[in-house]
Amino acid sequence: MAAVLGISGLYHDAAAALIVDGVVVAAIQEERLSRIKNDPSLPRRAVAACLRRGGIRPEQLDAVVFYENPFRKLERVLVWLMRSYPASARHFPRALSAQLGDKLWVLDQVAELVGVARARVRGASHHLSHAASAFLVSPFTEAAILTVDGVGEEVTTALYRGRGGRIEPLLSLPYPHSLGLLYAALTAYLGFEVNEGEHKVMGLSALGTARYREPFEKLIELHPDGSFELSARYFAYEAGGELGYSPALERLLGPPRKPGSPWCLETSAEDRRYADVAATLQQVTEDALLGLARRAQRETGLSSLCLAGGVALNAVANHRLAREAGFERVFVQPAAGDAGGALGAALLGAMEAGDPRPAPMTHAALGESPSVDEAVALARHLGLSAERLGAPARRVAELLLKDGIVGICNGAFEWGPRALGQRSLLALPARTETRERLNRLIKQREPFRPFAPTVLEARAADFFADAPSDLTPFMTTVCQVLPEARADLAAVTHVDGTARVQTLAPGVAPLFGAVLAELERETGVPIALNTSLNGPGEPIVAHAQDALGFLSAHAIDGLLIEDYLFRRPR
Amino acid sequence: MAVPSPNSDLSQGPGEGLSARPLDGAATLVLRARAWLGGQWAFHSPRRTARLLHGFARTEEQSQLELRQAARLCHDARRSARYLRHALDEARHAHAFAESARALAHAHGAAGFPRPSADCEGLFEGLGEQRFLAFVHAGERRGRIEFETYARLLRRRSNDAQAQLFEDLIADERQHEAYSLRLLEELAGSAGTRRALRWAARDAAWRAFRRRGRALGSVLYALTMLLVYVALAPFALSYRALSPVRRGLSREP
Repeated sequence: MAAVLGISGLYHDAAAALIVDGVVVAAIQEERLSRIKNDPSLPRRAVAACLRRGGIRPEQLDAVVFYENPFRKLERVLVWLMRSYPASARHFPRALSAQLGDKLWVLDQVAELVGVARARVRGASHHLSHAASAFLVSPFTEAAILTVDGVGEEVTTALYRGRGGRIEPLLSLPYPHSLGLLYAALTAYLGFEVNEGEHKVMGLSALGTARYREPFEKLIELHPDGSFELSARYFAYEAGGELGYSPALERLLGPPRKPGSPWCLETSAEDRRYADVAATLQQVTEDALLGLARRAQRETGLSSLCLAGGVALNAVANHRLAREAGFERVFVQPAAGDAGGALGAALLGAMEAGDPRPAPMTHAALGESPSVDEAVALARHLGLSAERLGAPARRVAELLLKDGIVGICNGAFEWGPRALGQRSLLALPARTETRERLNRLIKQREPFRPFAPTVLEARAADFFADAPSDLTPFMTTVCQVLPEARADLAAVTHVDGTARVQTLAPGVAPLFGAVLAELERETGVPIALNTSLNGPGEPIVAHAQDALGFLSAHAIDGLLIEDYLFRRPR
Repeated sequence: MAVPSPNSDLSQGPGEGLSARPLDGAATLVLRARAWLGGQWAFHSPRRTARLLHGFARTEEQSQLELRQAARLCHDARRSARYLRHALDEARHAHAFAESARALAHAHGAAGFPRPSADCEGLFEGLGEQRFLAFVHAGERRGRIEFETYARLLRRRSNDAQAQLFEDLIADERQHEAYSLRLLEELAGSAGTRRALRWAARDAAWRAFRRRGRALGSVLYALTMLLVYVALAPFALSYRALSPVRRGLSREP
């Protein structure tokens, strides 16, 4: 039996995860605590929070596992700097200083950060960490595992077979042929931030037509064996992982979009062109993923698939995989991106120490809980009212039924990029006016980005096709909204008739479940619009201070922290 | 995001006593002169102005991150609330600067800027509360002097919209300057406050020195790397010739 800490960091989305005696005790992204979106630093605060939650002192840790092998990564960067000589001249100083300055010595830094002997710290392979993060907490005893992201050490895509507590590597695709890099380059081309705007591209794609297949064939060649090849001339990836697009891509697809310019798809032909580029990118990505998944099915002959890596956060593609790839079941854990590497690294360390495989992940509440006492004291000095409620779920439902927007900060915060009922902003799912108000007052999202619904698991099939499934508890897929339910779900149905639904099982997020049950009692629809409790560009709220700061800055109708309702002065 | 200016119990009071602080006088004149020179250079072209505004957005963003950490770590609810209010102000300022920078860049045909991002040094944790407050006070004071100078310069250039942006924030800066000093005096007494403010002045000078050192170091590093890169040419070309690129799915680990 062992205590193992897993760590990811120094690229983007730093995180830490703690496994004690085969139980996932804590998993926390650094951004929640530092308040820096996609915080790339080593996760100092997340490590401390994980140890606090587990009641573990550093000297009690049996192993600390970093999610990458820094030496193999340096080798890949050097090889690519040489291979792309002399085009790599501009990137050479920066790439070298990044690798030699921090990343190469990361295991020593980790030992110092955690406060353990260097001998207890080791690195695991990036893609193996991803694979472990998906399979070892999945409900499957045996599954094909597909990991697809930008790049790890030297591999961008990998296929494994998972059986019991073992993961066996099967196939891999080398850098620079990467779906993650393709999606990121086009995300930058469309004027969004890389590693942040990919889900916006996914939302935009539903409004376009995939009419650029021909030029895209020059960007990426899909092969019948499931592999693919990117054409180097359209990309700028000499810096070894950080990428963009080259002038050749602009000549191929037209001028890129200026970051931050307002969208007007109804009147602007240019914006419609960008939507068509997004639609084509999405379709090509789905086709490539399908090719890989079908190859995985042929290689393993198994009926279940686990998916991990940044590309696995593409909920639209996951939906298509679940329907068309030939697998009966598909699972994606909620932090499928680089943060998830911390969980996978910890799981690999725990398996190596001989611990049993953890129970399947049924919820993502693996962070820290808010302190009500601190919240009440702070609220007094912020001029906010605080009221202790006897029936908090009932009161939240009442506010929602008056077309209110209510925040909830309840229990341990979530692992991964989705608000799943612990740090959520809720509204009714029917009224588009409420959605517009939510967008105007708080979210300021682009007009094409949908809001997501949460439904009680037992009633999911009454409103959505293909729900519930292994994917729906963590919002990692989309489902078609049934035609007869569209009127009730107007505020959460995307233009293509889908919704990125979360199904809530009994016992998971109990307060949120009780709110949905109250809504069902009043309206017959056990569904709420559920979006993350944060302002634009901010990480999701973690602690009570963050939640009260959010309430002070935004005119919502109430904020529930555990059983206290906080409100702004009228 | 529309947060009203904070008006808590701690922000009451004049704060005019600040004008008699030792930092005034020569140091203020130097700050004003530097801001004036910087402004003359930056406001000469809209693109430079946009870059300056985006730089302010990043500074305000960093400030709000430090203040949020302070709000979380401070055990006194009254002071924690004060830091949180200040953080919300800084977030509002960062948003205002970023929006102005973006609008100005777009109006002159330039690409926009990414969302302002910054690091958090963990100053509250690293310095302790008294030095943290002295740091905040000194920073707000510098900011206020710069904003006043820029606003005057822009009015003189008839750039009323940009001048208004700075003028709108000066009241907040004054108030942050005042509350941070008052809290510092509460915690450290007058002798401790003087010591902390002297430390903050030395720290600001040391940071400016390190910034210049880093800039010089970057130039030297880039030149050295250029030489290394040129020297690597034979290895790079022979590597390219001898080592084929791997393609397709393979069973190599």
